[in-house]
Amino acid sequence: MNWLVFWRLARTGLAVWALASGIFLLSHHDLSGAARMATPDAADLPMSGSANPSATQQQATTRAILQRLGAGLPLFYLSRPPAAHPGQWHWNGRRNQYHRWAIALLHGDLGTSFRTGQAVTTQLSNALTLTLPLTGTAAALAVLAAIFLARRLAAGPWWQRPVRTALAGLHALPLFLVALALLLLLANPEALDWFPAYGFDQALDTDADFWTRVATYALHLALPVTALVITALPELTLQLDTALRHELRAGYATTARAKGLAEGAVIRHHAFRNAVLPTLTQVAELLPALVAGAVVVEVVFALPGMGSLLAAAAAARDYPVLVGGVLLTGTARLLALLLADVLYFWADPRIRWHV
Amino acid sequence: MARLSSGSRSWSHKAACVWLALVVLVAGLAGVLPLPYLPSVPDLAHIAQPPFATSQHWLGTDPQGRDVLSVLVFGARTAVLLTLPAAALSALLGALAGGAAGFWGNKARLPVPYWLLATGGAWWALRLPIPTLALVIAAGGLVVAALARLRQRPFPTWAVPINAIVMGTATTLDTIPRLILVVAVAAGAGVSSAGLLGLLTLTAWPHPARLVRAQMLRIRELPFVEAAHAAGLPAFQVWFRHALPHALQPLRTAMPLSVASLLGLESTLSFLGVGLPPEVASWGRLLSTVRQEPAAWWLFLFPAICLIFTILSLLNLSRQQPVAA
Repeated sequence: MNWLVFWRLARTGLAVWALASGIFLLSHHDLSGAARMATPDAADLPMSGSANPSATQQQATTRAILQRLGAGLPLFYLSRPPAAHPGQWHWNGRRNQYHRWAIALLHGDLGTSFRTGQAVTTQLSNALTLTLPLTGTAAALAVLAAIFLARRLAAGPWWQRPVRTALAGLHALPLFLVALALLLLLANPEALDWFPAYGFDQALDTDADFWTRVATYALHLALPVTALVITALPELTLQLDTALRHELRAGYATTARAKGLAEGAVIRHHAFRNAVLPTLTQVAELLPALVAGAVVVEVVFALPGMGSLLAAAAAARDYPVLVGGVLLTGTARLLALLLADVLYFWADPRIRWHV
Repeated sequence: MARLSSGSRSWSHKAACVWLALVVLVAGLAGVLPLPYLPSVPDLAHIAQPPFATSQHWLGTDPQGRDVLSVLVFGARTAVLLTLPAAALSALLGALAGGAAGFWGNKARLPVPYWLLATGGAWWALRLPIPTLALVIAAGGLVVAALARLRQRPFPTWAVPINAIVMGTATTLDTIPRLILVVAVAAGAGVSSAGLLGLLTLTAWPHPARLVRAQMLRIRELPFVEAAHAAGLPAFQVWFRHALPHALQPLRTAMPLSVASLLGLESTLSFLGVGLPPEVASWGRLLSTVRQEPAAWWLFLFPAICLIFTILSLLNLSRQQPVAA
């Protein structure tokens, strides 16, 4: 059991590393290509230099910028210089961008942002102070609401059919549509102006007392959390509902009913724990999915969190931030796997006995 | 899943088919439809007009003066041209990879001469140092093949772990949510429409591959596959002609769902402004303009209706498939 968990974590970690390396190499390949196109060959530079000083100055600054970004070094351990020896591979040794990036990463340094010059770790941790409460609240609320709703649905009330249809339809809608609809309906001066629409600045500027600040904070996060919950809820609920109905047809449920228990008690005390196991696997999917959802929600509601940081970095081709975001999402997946294993351990005594 | 009564099932099925046919038809005819304004030509005299306010713009204009109706029509073309090929390509790739992984597992054996030929070819193609060595390796492969043929003995074989390769790649791609992966790669590599198509295909194939692999694990144990083996057919023929057609069954349900999720992903990317270049008309991009003009309900309503109807129709289609079959 422990070996299984360890093996899965190691495999996921390896996958995250491979993806981050792939994105790093892709982006920096593009970078060095752009640098080569921007700067002419060293041979004809002295002749044209005296004739056009402003152009050489510009080239010098471009090269200085690229030097700061680390584009002067070769990209990977192996490279194929295009001009000197066509068709020959060249071994660069340890002086290459990938090696430096990997070593820095092992020391916990993700590099500096191209756009702002700040360290990526500071940017990400600043952004996480907003995103973690947002996604954490959304995840907790979605799971609780799904459990509540699925228990009610499994009891078979008269409204089960329309609710299931609505959930199945809602499941397919893109998150940005839901978020936009909420924004236009509930935070729009033209419609209902109940919630603040944009940004976070007013909430944090004021020197109001603690509770006022908490209230404004909650008011700003209400719509984003609602949007995330609405899109995360259907899958969880439908899965749990199907599992519950399956369990309620089992023999032990009939026995429980035969001894006179009410349907609600059968669901709560007998069927629920057996039905919850597949949902725990979904919880492992939920955390990374909410990080992706945060990209959309934070862009729609203009919140300065990790999602909008990633979106802005993508628009500006700020590769260190993007790679950092991918690594962070991978870490979320690792944590979610661990969490799912712990929850399995809690939910199913058979797993405990097997250890 | 939701079950409607049989009467309303056929009714909603017909409506879904009609809507999807309409979208595809409009997308196909987008170039020849008599639209007064192309989406790339803004009408700067009429900015953010409500619908039916002016005679030229039936569904109004957006804050840049583009005609909403023509953006919807050309956005349908973008959606169809991007999602259908991506879904088909990823289904094809997933079927081949997942089918091979399920049929052979890790036990496929490739004769050593082919290994040598492949190594030599790869060496030559990658232009690794000492190109003559590549020729030597490839020639060695040919010599071994000829010797084995002459002495009438089966080739010695080495195993190819197809299952491990396919499933490992699929798991790696599934680790990060698709949206984050596509955003990071699209920003890093800077993509065109064709590049985005390739990127969507690359991130979408693991799902069909898993489905086909699971089905193939069941199929390969069935008697007719054994009969084909016993008849002396080569393994590739058994796989391709006999087993694979049956293993494709789950894709019939999964294809509409795959198109729906790709449509959602494409519109989300356009909404975020990543991926497609800004001059390409898209429903997601039209939806994003409503944030500049919160009073313009028509900018939200019409593309949202198109998107929701299309996605729900695709869902309906995938749910009806087993009934129709």
